[in-house]
Formats: sequence, C-alpha cells, structure tokens
Amino acid sequence: MNISTITEQYVRERLTKGVREGGRGMFEFRNMTLEIGKMINAEGSAEINLGNTKVLVGVKLDVGEPMRDKPDEGSIMTGCELLPLAHHSYDAGPPSAESVELARVIDRGIRAANIIDLKKLFIEEGKSWNVFIDVYVLNYDGNLFDAGTTAAVAALSNARMPRYEDSKVIREGNLGKLEIANMATSCTFAKVAGTIVLDTDGNEEDFSEARLTVANDEKAVRAMQKGLGGSFTPKEVDKLVETAFEKSKDLRRIIKSSKVD
Amino acid sequence: MDKPELIINGKRLDGRTPEQLRPIKITAGPIRNAAGSAYIEWGTNKILAAVYGPREALPKHTSDPDKAIIKCRYTMAPFSSLEEHGRPGMNRRAIEISKVTKEVFENVVLLDLFPGNEISIFVEVLQSDGGTRAAGITCAAVALAASGIPMRDIPYAVSVGKAGDTLILDMNKTEDNYSNADMPVAINPRTKEITLLQMDGELTPEQVRQGMAMIDKAGETITRIQREALRRPYEKVQEKYKASI
Amino acid sequence: MKRLVIPGEILADKPLRLDHTLVEDGKTCSTIIGLFDDQAGSFIPIEGLWYPQPGEKVVGIVDEARLNTDSINLNAPYKGLIISKFTEGNLVNGDIIEATVKDLDKTGTVVLVRPRPLYGGKVLAIKPSKVPRLLGKNDTMIKQIAEGTKSSISVGMNGLVWVKGGNSDLATDAILKIQEEAHVSGLTERIAKMVGASNQM
Repeated sequence: MNISTITEQYVRERLTKGVREGGRGMFEFRNMTLEIGKMINAEGSAEINLGNTKVLVGVKLDVGEPMRDKPDEGSIMTGCELLPLAHHSYDAGPPSAESVELARVIDRGIRAANIIDLKKLFIEEGKSWNVFIDVYVLNYDGNLFDAGTTAAVAALSNARMPRYEDSKVIREGNLGKLEIANMATSCTFAKVAGTIVLDTDGNEEDFSEARLTVANDEKAVRAMQKGLGGSFTPKEVDKLVETAFEKSKDLRRIIKSSKVD
Repeated sequence: MDKPELIINGKRLDGRTPEQLRPIKITAGPIRNAAGSAYIEWGTNKILAAVYGPREALPKHTSDPDKAIIKCRYTMAPFSSLEEHGRPGMNRRAIEISKVTKEVFENVVLLDLFPGNEISIFVEVLQSDGGTRAAGITCAAVALAASGIPMRDIPYAVSVGKAGDTLILDMNKTEDNYSNADMPVAINPRTKEITLLQMDGELTPEQVRQGMAMIDKAGETITRIQREALRRPYEKVQEKYKASI
Repeated sequence: MKRLVIPGEILADKPLRLDHTLVEDGKTCSTIIGLFDDQAGSFIPIEGLWYPQPGEKVVGIVDEARLNTDSINLNAPYKGLIISKFTEGNLVNGDIIEATVKDLDKTGTVVLVRPRPLYGGKVLAIKPSKVPRLLGKNDTMIKQIAEGTKSSISVGMNGLVWVKGGNSDLATDAILKIQEEAHVSGLTERIAKMVGASNQM
C-alpha cells in the first residue's frame, strides 16, 4: 500500500501501553525462517523471512588481485540492492544512500568479527580470493539490517570453497566449505513515537525517530550504527547493547541450526 | 574446449528428448508488497516476477494521456550464474530483454482503461541456466494475472535451438552455448498470436515452421502449469474448509 | 454452476454483456480472475481493481491540502480531488476522510464531495474486489464485525477500510480473513464465530 496505513496517534497510543501488532513483545523478534543453499550457482546463499521482510543473500568467490594496501590477504565486498519489486517506493537506478548504508553496516559487523580470516584467502603473489556478498531485498517490511546480517552470516556459514588449479577456478565437484572463524549477529532497535522497540516492521519504521543497530559476537560489540535524525541517551545505549547481547544468543542458535553439514 | 555432442542416441545431455521441456514449477504471490507476483523454477532457472500498478506514471514526461504505459525491468542477480560474480544492475543484454518483454505485455494488457498510469513489471533472475527471457515472461504473465490488472490473455514463452541438424526445445545453458540457432518465441495461447520473436543463428524456413510447431505443442504444458499456479491459492482455501465456491 | 476463470479464458461462444469480459471474434473471454456462473450469467471478480462509480463511498488520506482543492490518496490509479472551497472545515495533510464519488473525468481524476473526517484509528488496504463480500447483503457482514468487536469501521469501495477502537485487532483479523476466503462458502458462519465469540468473553 502506498500510504501510511496507521496514524502516529494510533502507534503512540499502542506503544505507550506496550501493545504491538500481533501481540508482539517490545523486544521480541518477529517470526524468522532461514532457508540455506537454495541458489546452487552461488557458492553460498540464504533466504530469510523476518515477519514479511524477505531478503536473499548470495555469496560468490572469485580469484583476483589483492587490494594494494593488503597484498597478502583476500577481500570481502558487500553490496545491497533494494530491488524495486520489494516496495512501491523503491526505484531502479544508482544505489541510494539507504542501500549503501545497509551494505556497509552489514559488512562492518562481518569484517570486525573476523568471520572470515582474510589471510587464509591469499593464494599466491598477485592472487587471492575475493568474497562477494550480495544482499538482495525482495520484500520490505522493516528491519533490513537484522534480516540482512543474519542471512549474510548464514550464507557464509554454509558456503562452498571453490578450488584454484592450473589458473582456473573450479566451482563444481568435490569441494570443501568456506572456513568460518566466528559468528556475528545484529539487533536493531528504534525509538518509535517515543518508545524503544526491537525489530520494527514497515509501519513502525514510518514513525521511527532514531535507530540503533548493534552487531556483536559472544565476546564483544563488533559494530554499531545509529541512524535517523533523533537521538539516544547514554543510558539507553547501555541498555540496548545489553539487550543485543541477550537476544543474540537466539540468533546464533537459529543460524547454527540452519547449517547444513 | 571441444564441442560436446548435444544429442547421443536421441537423448540430450540431461537425458531429455529433443521435444522435451525441462520441469517447470510456478508459485503465485511470494512478494506481498506487489500488486501481483510469481516465482518460477524452470529447470534450474529460478526467477521472480512482480508487478506494481496501475499507478501514476512518473516522471510525467513518460506518461501517455490516452493509455497506461508498461515499464519492464529484467535483471540478473550477481550470484545467478555458475561463473564469476556478475555486476549488479543492467547490461545491454538486459536492456534489450526488458524491451522485448515489455512489448509482450503491451499486447495483452487493457491499457486504455488507465490513462496517465504506468504498470511496472520486474523480472529478477536469481539463478540462471539458459532460457531466462522465456521463463521470465512466462512467470511475469502469472504475476500480472494475479494482480487483477485486466488482460486479454496470459502469454507464455519458450525457445527452440539446434543440436547439429536436430531441432531441440528449451535449451539449457550448455546447449545454448553450443547450439547454432536460438529462437525464443512468446505466444498468446488463445489466439496463437506471436508477440515476441527473435532469432539468431541458422535455420531453414522449414526448420522455423517445425520449431513453431514444437513451441505450440509445448505451450499446452506451459499454459496448464500457469493456470494451475493461478488457481492453487484459491483451491487451497477451499480445501482448508472443505467448502465449495 | 460457478467456476473459477482466469484471463483469456473463453466463457461463451457468443457475445455476453458482462463487466470484466471482452468480446473477440464473437467469443466472450474473461479479463481477470473471477467466478463465472454460466447459468445465472454472472461474473464476480476475485482479483480485480476498483472502477469508480458516482455515488460510491470511499476512504482516503489527504495528500495535499490546498486553498481551493485537496488531493486525496485513494490507493488507486486515480487522483482523488475535493473542491474544498465548497466544503466546511479545513483538511490537513495526513487526515483520513470518507467521501462520496461525484464522477470520474477523462483525465483519471475522481471528483469527491461531502468529505467527512475520521479521527484516530488505522487504515487497511484490501483488494477492491473483496469489498462487496466484506459489506455483505445490506451491510450485514460489516455490521456483525463492528458489533462483535465494538469497533468503528468505515469501508471504502476503493478498498481502504478505516478501523478504530474496540477490539480493532480482532476486527482487522476478521477483515483480512474475509479477503482470504471471499470465494469460499460458509464464510458468514466462520466470521460470526470469530467475532461473536468475543461477546461472550
């Protein structure tokens, strides 16, 4: 629908009473399903449904030149497409600031958590593996950050590792798995009409004033991003970081149980 | 690399006979935000199609005061091919496919009813294995029918190629690479009107005729699968309550 | 005998005068997914758009309130327009209103009259083809939902439905259920059970 389906008054009244659509808790994720490995041409893939938000992540590995400033490492490149079929307001064209921010934040969490040891992607002088992560948003209904990060980590955790032989990339046959050194997840909170909630749906995002994404692994915060024009107090940030650590246990469990051996 | 034999003892590389289609599965409605949507698995092709509109045609200079316009965007995901990582967005091939796909739907949608508006059709190839333009059209047709936008027919598409001198229907990527002809065709099944016709390679006029006949026959199967995809959501609800219409 | 038909399907080998069909080569075909009854000669749209008719009630949201006219978003491929200098009160962007269709002009503008503001609540978008089923014969279905959930409900023929107060979540669920099951018999009983039950709680 191309108009706001609820008024700010409606949202504000319900949230101050602790009521969300579908009886959801203030810090509760919507129903999440993960389907791994359906895209067999990609080295890895995962499709996530978080409520009605649907995101497909594809992972490809190519052999190329290392970055000039890191000649003994491979690289990770994360891209995000807000496909025009995902929402009436999404246009085709050059990447919007929204899609670039999304890609960079998802990338940051993965990179800072060292999910992939880039040194292990080095092949020989002038050649290393480049990992391409493409976050394809298929249906928007809020919280692309967590949907994207969860699917990206799940796709990486179940990716094949191609071989490089006789200057050729071998993508089929008996292949091992891409080596994963860690796991990270993210929780995105938003202040909606004055109340802070986790995992906003599309309607709640229409009335979000401030947003905070916290990406972490078991030990540490790995990345954070505050978005939109509003603000958080230090106490709020503290509480949200704590909540993210708490909630991330479930997210790690979901990703682990989706792994295909 | 040596050219492989595409047909050995009457069987193709994947075991099909020359006239055989790959398996096709279509599901309607996967993209909730869209007016209509469909997902197709055609062999190992995996393609999503979604329709938005009729909605105001913007920018204004693209609008037509007498009828709706169709906008079509066919793209392939960077992870869709077994080869290297592709570039996101549209290349020249995608631009051409978008155009000929648009023209298929310009023929069947009742555009006069929505002057000044646009109907946007998006085809996203998530995984490719030859024949994506035909699969994309077949899938987009279901998405359009599901959207409630009035149409005179539901088109389907499929291509014909050649293995040596034998015509083969619905080539996969390997066959397409080594075939010396490729003729994709889209048809309105009720009237047999041809709304997409492209050809590249070498075909005698008789082979073109034979190819068309093969396509017409395959159309019976493809249109049945499209119809089933459209009916299934309604039949599911009926079954749930063991009720009738 | 009713049957589900899809676009392009031939309904009769002769011209029939039915909405949502067209005649080609003397044969009548469906242009949308619908229910065709060859004996009764009726066609009920299952998936179909809204085609504005004078006198219809619509629900809309004010897009742009100007001095002499207001643009109304009707979630449809037509621009809603109110000539505000003839109406009382001032509308503001974002206001939800119900109004009456005066007519549809050649440029695709739906002229609306008698705007009545609706305060608070939320607006659902349902498929316009389901609105008749949602209303029911003589509005019996919608009245049942409003009474059972103690909500205020306004249904626009354009598919926008305003819901406020009472158990609006249950009302929303009932409305969405009707959209899902409009083509299946026994719906009236299922909805009665769904909203009537809440009365007894």
